[in-house]
Amino acid sequence: MKTKLLAFCAVALAVTGCHTPSMNTVENAQKSGQKTMVSDQRVITDSKLNKTVNIVGVNTAMTPGGVLKVQVELFNNTRSTKRFDYHFEWFDQSGMQVNGIMSAEQTDQVEGGESKFVAGIAPSTACKDFRLKLSEAP
Amino acid sequence: MKKIIILPLIAASAAFLTGCGTDAHYVQTGGRDSVVSLDHIDSQDFIQAAGDATGSLLASGVLDRVKNPPAILAMSRIVNNTGQQIDMDLLTKKIRVVLLQSGKAVTTTTFGLGGTAEDPLAKGIQQQNEFMNDQKPARLPDFTLSGKIIENASKAGDTRQNTYSFQLTLTDQQGLGVWEGEKEITKQGTRSSVGF
Repeated sequence: MKTKLLAFCAVALAVTGCHTPSMNTVENAQKSGQKTMVSDQRVITDSKLNKTVNIVGVNTAMTPGGVLKVQVELFNNTRSTKRFDYHFEWFDQSGMQVNGIMSAEQTDQVEGGESKFVAGIAPSTACKDFRLKLSEAP
Repeated sequence: MKKIIILPLIAASAAFLTGCGTDAHYVQTGGRDSVVSLDHIDSQDFIQAAGDATGSLLASGVLDRVKNPPAILAMSRIVNNTGQQIDMDLLTKKIRVVLLQSGKAVTTTTFGLGGTAEDPLAKGIQQQNEFMNDQKPARLPDFTLSGKIIENASKAGDTRQNTYSFQLTLTDQQGLGVWEGEKEITKQGTRSSVGF
């Protein structure tokens, strides 16, 4: 009797405790907005992270203040939620990195099957280039 | 028999002495190795809030609308509605640094809340200069920055959750709020930890 009860509890735990939500989405098919996609250059050293937090595409826009805004679309190819750290690095016309609070590390999460955008705004009009760094959150 | 008792004791003592602490070392300020406090605003929280607000402010283009750029910014009151004592420069200085570096705004240090100057010596020199050279009084600030930090705490069993809301408003000379920003940072757990 005890064994049966324990087995039932284990199954109940497995069914309820391990379930992570996956994402269903719907959006308008005919888009009004036009994205300015940029050709990107990727360096993948963590292939596991690349599967769970996959980079779909990068688009940029100039804000009314004249600073560069970058938006990166990420997609979680798995069924489980994934937490990740990211930060943007900014570079001026000479390729020199511009450090500061706009490059601060941030933590976010993406649900299984979810598409998500992370965005960054350049710290000044002098910043012309960027780099996004993604890593698995501890 | 003695060996059986003594050996685990030695092992436990060694583990206690060596494993229960870390030597002091440097970590990147606001980096992923930072301590995350549950009931306290950490340095990475100020960095995130300031970065978010500054990005939003720069992107809005409000600072470019002044007649004679760069815009002059004066720091007004930022109300602390949290349970902890906060030096507001932890938030405002970060914003000021980026705005100055961007070339879009400068902050006055001689025009402050209630007539107090952040830099009294600079105010004295400014007044002396105006008097000696028969100059017009200094240009008034184009904008003032005010705000509030609010804490919202909740608890479920042993799990505690704290949300810190950083609210900032930029007001022009007509007294209109021309930009507003809010960043909420939520931390949840049973105890503080190291790392994001």
